[in-house]
Amino acid sequence: MSDQKQKIEIGDGAAIPDPEDKGLISAWWIALIGTVSLLIILPLLKPDPYARILSFVPDGILVTFKVTIASISLALVIGLLTGLGRLSKNRFINLVASLYVEIVRGVPLLVQLFYIYFALGRIVRVPDIVAAVIAMAFCYGAYMGEVFRAGIKSIDHGQTEASLSLGFNRRQTMAYVVLPQAWRTILPPVGNEFIALLKDTSLVSILAVADILRRGREYASESFNYFETYTMIALIYLLITLVLSRLIANMEHRLSHYERR
Amino acid sequence: MLKKIIMILVALSTLYGTAWAETKIVFATDATWPPMEFVNAQKQIVGFSVDFLKAAGKEAGFTPVFKNTAWDGIFAGLAAGKYDAISSSVSITEQRKKAMDFSEPYFTVRQALIVPKSSSAKTLADLKGKKVGGQIGTTGYFAIKEVKGVIPKSYDEIGLAMEDLNVGRIDAVVCDDPVAANYALDKYKDKLKIAAVLKTDKVENYGFAVKKGNKKILDLLNRGIEAVKAKGIDQQLKKKWIGQ
Repeated sequence: MSDQKQKIEIGDGAAIPDPEDKGLISAWWIALIGTVSLLIILPLLKPDPYARILSFVPDGILVTFKVTIASISLALVIGLLTGLGRLSKNRFINLVASLYVEIVRGVPLLVQLFYIYFALGRIVRVPDIVAAVIAMAFCYGAYMGEVFRAGIKSIDHGQTEASLSLGFNRRQTMAYVVLPQAWRTILPPVGNEFIALLKDTSLVSILAVADILRRGREYASESFNYFETYTMIALIYLLITLVLSRLIANMEHRLSHYERR
Repeated sequence: MLKKIIMILVALSTLYGTAWAETKIVFATDATWPPMEFVNAQKQIVGFSVDFLKAAGKEAGFTPVFKNTAWDGIFAGLAAGKYDAISSSVSITEQRKKAMDFSEPYFTVRQALIVPKSSSAKTLADLKGKKVGGQIGTTGYFAIKEVKGVIPKSYDEIGLAMEDLNVGRIDAVVCDDPVAANYALDKYKDKLKIAAVLKTDKVENYGFAVKKGNKKILDLLNRGIEAVKAKGIDQQLKKKWIGQ
């Protein structure tokens, strides 16, 4: 179990606050208090347009969460399969998984979104949100696959050997011995990816999906209150990611229980 | 030696040329709105409004320069002074007049409803519970939003809305009639049709927008527009680009 402390540094999510930092004057607290107070004070001081903007975007927030949660769930499944595929001894499966990762990593997410929505839209007709979810999951599945691969590899080979010598077959070893242990290493970067994905869903506004950003753009295009609108949009995103990053930090703290003993 | 002299002369002449050039007016244009303004196969910005401004510039003494700008944010750029004016089929509305000044009208439009060939819808009211698309921040999109029960869907470019209508993700599109004609009667003529021209009580006119209070440019533009109309050039351009 000597490799347990190994951490995976993948992802471009929010900076995860340090759970040990219990002081009130941390960057996270300042950002949170600033965001919340601006979100409350601005609409109170100047209801037009700030309060109007706030009442215009809530259905967009719902759409953003829907797209994020659906995409991350699908991406987790794709990621697990890809991660296992990349570690597979079967040359064919290994090749397919690696090819997938190569392709996804080489094409910008925005281009992938356009491709799945407009190019494949000519062949298969899928509703806009479904197309957005498929595109996001397709992209993040590859990154998630790398997280899973690194997580599985971080488990000492001795575990596998012990399990095999106890009579488990390869599949049982993976399911009952390796994955349950790897999960602890995998979860924090997955949480990180979750935040990154949530932020990247703002790209789907380009596909006419009515997410937070799209609603903001619609409001701004009609009222010409660009400064006020995008200030509110940025604050809403910031609030969501701040709360999520704290939740993930707490989760990470709990998972590191064994390391700290 | 001779070469040097020639080069110096050439350099001087270009300097001289720019120094004495007519007033340059930089226009922002969202060139995704055929046939009014769009990018042709040679990557040039062309269209009715481009020709119109070139003619107006000849009459009033300015050179139009076009800057392709995304529609979403085109008004913010004007307010920020990134260009002198907007020439992008901007309909003159009361709401917009509060934020910017407009030239005299240069083109009159109506809103057209485009549907697939198989559809029987004749008005927006026939499309209750259905998705109808338009370009974000356009009068066409505002018209959709005004009808209760219709689900409005905003796109960055009208071409993307047309493509979504073409593949069947939405049930109709509303936009200015010259643009509607360009898509429904030309590009997608096998799949789409113009169901109706929406009845409104207000006349909708395109104007060139300038930053509030920019009287100098506005006067220049209005002089050009007047001359172009007086000489009947706008009618020729209509024939050339729209065919009516």
